[in-house]
Amino acid sequence: MSLIRINPLRILNQVPTAIFTRNIHVTPAAATLTPRQENRVRCTLIPGDGVGPELVYAVQEVFKAAAVPVDFESFFFSEVNPTLSAPIDQVANSISKNKVCLKGILATPDYSRTGELQTLNMKLRNELDLYANVVHVKSLPGVRSRHTGVDCIVIREQTEGEYSALEHESVKGVVECLKIVTATKSERIAKFAFDYATKNKRKKVTAVHKANIMKLGDGLFLKCCEQTSKLYPKIEFEKLIVDNCTMQMVSRPQQFDVMVTPNLYGNIIDNLGAGLVGGAGVVAGASYSADCVVFEPGARHTFAEGVGKNIANPTAMILCAANLLNHVNLGSYGEMIKNAVSKVLHDGKVRTKDIGGQSNTQEFTYAIIYNLKPVST
Amino acid sequence: MAARIITNSGLHRKLHEFSSGLAKLPSGNGIIRTAATALPMSDFEIQHKQPLVKKTKPIPVALYGGRHAVTMLPGGGIGPELMVYVKEIFKYAGAPVDFEVVEIDPKSDESNDLEYAITSIKRNGVAIKGNIETKSESTGVQSRNVAIRNELDLFVNVLHCHSYPGVPARQKGIDIIIIRQNTEGEYAMLEHESVEGVVESMKIVTKSNSERVARFAFEYAKRNNRKKVTTIHKANIMKLSDGLFLETSQKVAKDYPEIEHNDMIIDNCCMQLVSRPHQFDVMIMTNLYGTIVSNVVCGLVGGAGLLSGKNYGDHYAIFEPGTRNTGTAIAGKNIANPIAMISASIDMLDHLGHKQHSQVISDAVRKVICEDKLHTPDLGGSASSTEIVQRIIDYILQTDTRAW
Amino acid sequence: MAVRIIRQFATTKQNARHYSSQIRKCTIIPGDGIGPEISTAVQKIFAVAKVPIEWESVDVTPVRGPDGKFGIPQEAIDSVNRNKIGLKGPLMTPVGKGHRSLNLALRKEFSLYANVRPCRSLEGYKTLYDNVDVVTIRENTEGEYSGIEHEIVDGVVQSIKLITEDASRRVAEFAFKYTKENKRRKLTAVHKANIMRMSDGLFLRCCRDTAEKFPDVKFEEKYLDTVCLNMVQDPSQYDVLVMPNLYGDILSDMCAGLVGGLGLTPSGNIGINGALFESVHGTAPDIAGKDLANPTALLLSAVMMLKYMGLNEQADRIQLACFNTIKEAKYLTGDLGGKSKCSEFTNEICNKL
Repeated sequence: MSLIRINPLRILNQVPTAIFTRNIHVTPAAATLTPRQENRVRCTLIPGDGVGPELVYAVQEVFKAAAVPVDFESFFFSEVNPTLSAPIDQVANSISKNKVCLKGILATPDYSRTGELQTLNMKLRNELDLYANVVHVKSLPGVRSRHTGVDCIVIREQTEGEYSALEHESVKGVVECLKIVTATKSERIAKFAFDYATKNKRKKVTAVHKANIMKLGDGLFLKCCEQTSKLYPKIEFEKLIVDNCTMQMVSRPQQFDVMVTPNLYGNIIDNLGAGLVGGAGVVAGASYSADCVVFEPGARHTFAEGVGKNIANPTAMILCAANLLNHVNLGSYGEMIKNAVSKVLHDGKVRTKDIGGQSNTQEFTYAIIYNLKPVST
Repeated sequence: MAARIITNSGLHRKLHEFSSGLAKLPSGNGIIRTAATALPMSDFEIQHKQPLVKKTKPIPVALYGGRHAVTMLPGGGIGPELMVYVKEIFKYAGAPVDFEVVEIDPKSDESNDLEYAITSIKRNGVAIKGNIETKSESTGVQSRNVAIRNELDLFVNVLHCHSYPGVPARQKGIDIIIIRQNTEGEYAMLEHESVEGVVESMKIVTKSNSERVARFAFEYAKRNNRKKVTTIHKANIMKLSDGLFLETSQKVAKDYPEIEHNDMIIDNCCMQLVSRPHQFDVMIMTNLYGTIVSNVVCGLVGGAGLLSGKNYGDHYAIFEPGTRNTGTAIAGKNIANPIAMISASIDMLDHLGHKQHSQVISDAVRKVICEDKLHTPDLGGSASSTEIVQRIIDYILQTDTRAW
Repeated sequence: MAVRIIRQFATTKQNARHYSSQIRKCTIIPGDGIGPEISTAVQKIFAVAKVPIEWESVDVTPVRGPDGKFGIPQEAIDSVNRNKIGLKGPLMTPVGKGHRSLNLALRKEFSLYANVRPCRSLEGYKTLYDNVDVVTIRENTEGEYSGIEHEIVDGVVQSIKLITEDASRRVAEFAFKYTKENKRRKLTAVHKANIMRMSDGLFLRCCRDTAEKFPDVKFEEKYLDTVCLNMVQDPSQYDVLVMPNLYGDILSDMCAGLVGGLGLTPSGNIGINGALFESVHGTAPDIAGKDLANPTALLLSAVMMLKYMGLNEQADRIQLACFNTIKEAKYLTGDLGGKSKCSEFTNEICNKL
């Protein structure tokens, strides 16, 4: 009946206290929570290649246990198995209809039988205009790694740059690969990064570039970032050359907050960052377009050698799913799952092999389910 | 003095001063500037350095993964508590909007907060705002509300006044759209004491801005299937300024033969409003008349707490409660009427294209006001603000809609 | 034109390696900032170690060439061409248009096609990674740094990444040879051929072809992102890496970061007409002339140079002395957490010899 009455403290917390300390007068009635009529969310699901299906299964188990009101619309989508793969239009339609998608990693073969230069991943990104890839590199409790206290967000433009798939052999033995940088897309990603920083109360945005060599291309990217930064006087802006950036990442990763990068550098830094905090199995990511979001692990590795061995670490995938829930306004479920994950990692009794444990995927998933505790709202 | 403004270039010069005063914002002597201090500028310079329509490079929209970022300026008085209600309701309605809250310290003479707020709106394109207090007594400090409107070039204010069945009011079934020029006219804030004891205040009307407002009004009428546009003026006295405004709207009206156009003098208009308000459909007017008319109409439909206003420019939009007052006296007493701010948020959702969510919330609001007749003291009821919000949330939860 | 003729002449005539007993000439470019101090330090150590080398110091302060552009003085070019071997301190690229990056110019001038950077954890200087022993070999003439860029329409820039079979093969062959000669475990080709299927594909193909010629070298292929991920988790799984230009640039700096920064990593550029060894750190103008700089990078580069010249015995001695000095940690410069001056550090190494 009275959801608002039982939340006075939370409401107070939401308002910055500087101006507004007097607040709603509330009788602390011990009312019971109205069982909320659940409206179910539909979500596209692409298990992907390699261990993807196993990870997705773990997510579904957790969702089932937490009674999360999400229905999956599952597609088999794969470049290495083109005959069984769903057509890209169908997948793209589903995602643009549902606006959210949970996706495993697609394996990309080095060659294409049809001589096509674009990979399926790139096609999907371009089809939906998923221009911004966000990877949150964060040290997790209980995950042993060399660096501690890492907490940075890598935002990567992923529709242009080196991944333009414009390549040709001009003369025999000479291949040209075009890297395209446009002002529109650079501005868009820069604004995305700064808005993301604002929304998440971050202090600093670092633009990663190589404008000392690629004066025009990366220069344009850098210029756009600089211009955009002027709109955000409260956020510090700095520039860093990509090679120096990687060096700083491995020596003092704590100095970074939000990083905005063109396509290829982003790929490098994503993976580098993932390596710093415990590997590809623990870092969640998401790709944004204006309208939809695809949640996928941050470091894109299919872990094909682990298929069927029940050894993959589902942390990244489960965190992706939790982020998805937060995005679709099911924050209480998202927090519940996140808390369970960090509890399990923190306790350290159940860990998969990649982070120094002995448990398998299934045991780890069950440990998370066992630790699901409703977040008090 | 007034005669000097007649010539076209003189007009431009005024306008130039006016906007250069703005560029400095409340930095000090913006208001006291007179024609004597203005540097002569060629027409070319005026055109290129001080274009009437402020040229702004479009900034990419803040829409990520289907969620909009919106600036929230809670303002003073009851503003912050109303914003809390809006956030709560949005959460339960699953509106995909993320707010960037920007506080403006009302006491400070510094314009940093204000500038930041303006930058934030420029980035997000859309804002929802309460009334911002300007507590500083210094003449150099401009009203922050006006500063925001002018800086963002929000040239038009739209107030949809309609009666709620169930709300006690003198007049029933009112449905008027008030469209008001928002950036110039009497609010140009060019005042000075020319001789001891004689103060001149300048009213500025420009053709281009008048035309933008008129064009907007007719387009609005056309889109919303309205039949008639009435221009409100005082051209019998202020022949040049209001004359220009009237003339421009008459000219624009010719492009819309399907919409009826008439004009009315402001004093007559006020009388007509209280006696026969149903004759009005869409009304356009200059700045000061807008304040008067909107407050009159708000009084007719049941007070300040119900209606929401929309401010539009070429690039930005701000949504706020319809009558601009802070309500400092009732702040923190849990009796402020939350409906105005909630309808502002509904307007905002509509503007952002989240029709489904806006529908859900406005249905809930309608049920609370019209069917349950749950009213705050300003409408003669006894319900508290939180009770109303709670009831709205309950209705929202009963609706079958997707969670976000 | 003249240069080219001289170069051709030089190439044909002086191709054979010198015997180690002979006194040989080496060009040294002290560079800017801290360059002169650390060059002096290296020269001093070499003198104490009785390395049979005669230094020929040249200045590369840019001069206006006949085409109006600023460039390296002809004497410097001639000197390196004559000696076939050079050692270079850090150079400053002046900001502003009309200046070509001197580093780039030297690279072009001597066709330095491969950049070699061994990164090794130093005992005595603790970093988070203590088992790094990686050599990065980077193609240095083409790829993303081709310098071909243009703005097609306003706001759209196109840069061309150029991969040629010749250059790829050349660097691949060098990498295999290096791996074999230095008795390293394996060679990894780093690429992104899943995205850049043709260009990186070509590079990869050249590596595979070359691998057949070196059956005794263990060869593997890895994606760039995988290497990044694994490198920071466990650097010991890599040994020698060969890759195109940009990736090499990024990875070599990253590896340097693993062992404690550019102040400790040597670098060598191998070209058709000779080789140039350099320290890749900055000019550090803030500590220039204060006797605070760390000469290790340049010294280790000089050691690489000796190895390249076949003077292995001296190279090993100097390297050992240097490593021991750092290990004992009595005389360390400020960047390594010590308080000693550059000259004290140098003297200690000399004593050890």
